[in-house]
Amino acid sequence: MSAASDCKTILDNISAYLDGELASTAYEAIERHCQACPTCAALVSGLRDTIGLCREAASVPLPDAVRQRARDGVRRLLDRNVEKG
Amino acid sequence: MRARPDSARSNISSAIGANAEYASLVTAAATGDREAMERLLIRAQEAAYRFSLLVCGHPEDAEDVMQDALLKTYQHLRQISKPEAFRTWLYTTVKNACLMKRRRHVGEPTNFVSLEQGVEATSGTIPFDVPDPSRSADQRLIDEWMGGRLRKALKGLPPSYRMVVVMREMEGLSTREVATITGFSEATVKTRLHRARLMLRRHLEDE
Repeated sequence: MSAASDCKTILDNISAYLDGELASTAYEAIERHCQACPTCAALVSGLRDTIGLCREAASVPLPDAVRQRARDGVRRLLDRNVEKG
Repeated sequence: MRARPDSARSNISSAIGANAEYASLVTAAATGDREAMERLLIRAQEAAYRFSLLVCGHPEDAEDVMQDALLKTYQHLRQISKPEAFRTWLYTTVKNACLMKRRRHVGEPTNFVSLEQGVEATSGTIPFDVPDPSRSADQRLIDEWMGGRLRKALKGLPPSYRMVVVMREMEGLSTREVATITGFSEATVKTRLHRARLMLRRHLEDE
């Protein structure tokens, strides 16, 4: 494969690579290519950071006021249904 | 043999873990365990709020969608037969509630694009309608939540791409679950996730 076609392959397969969906040979080919191609290495690294940012943000709890409203709503619903029997 | 980087392993195990946790809460709640019921309903509401806010962008709608998820989850628990499918049911319900809210909006902006509508990556950024500028204290708290930079980048994605990336990367759902919820094929989910990641990266770098 030429360097340019390698870069195209990286772009097409980068998500599959990051999600662990590639066979070992394809995975290793991307690893090897990135060692020799700073542009693709930066792309992989940038996407990995983006995914990390999303996952990190997902663990941030909702604002306290929203969580409190959720808890209050649940207790009101359950108490009302206990009273009704 | 497939090679799995650490990030992929952690996403897979978190999806399995979250499903097992939900299934165990559903099973306990269905047998009358009040504490499990409370925890499950709170989690369902929080998931509904996050999804609605991140995908549709309207805090007022997110409150309504949260309430809707509470009532529907409570009713659904009485007839649930597959606890392990609860999460898929929940997000399908929440997605539909979001769609209904958007359709009911009076004075819908002309640039509104439905969640189901596919927009090709090459078309670039779709304008995103923003809520009323008179912001309450609650609104300010919500704006600060989770980092303005990422939320701004998410808003720059076409809605169906945003929906996929939120469910896969932030809510930890599997490709198959997202396909079931959205009605897209698994291949389409993967393609949209791939394009959404590239667009998100570009938006984040452009700032």
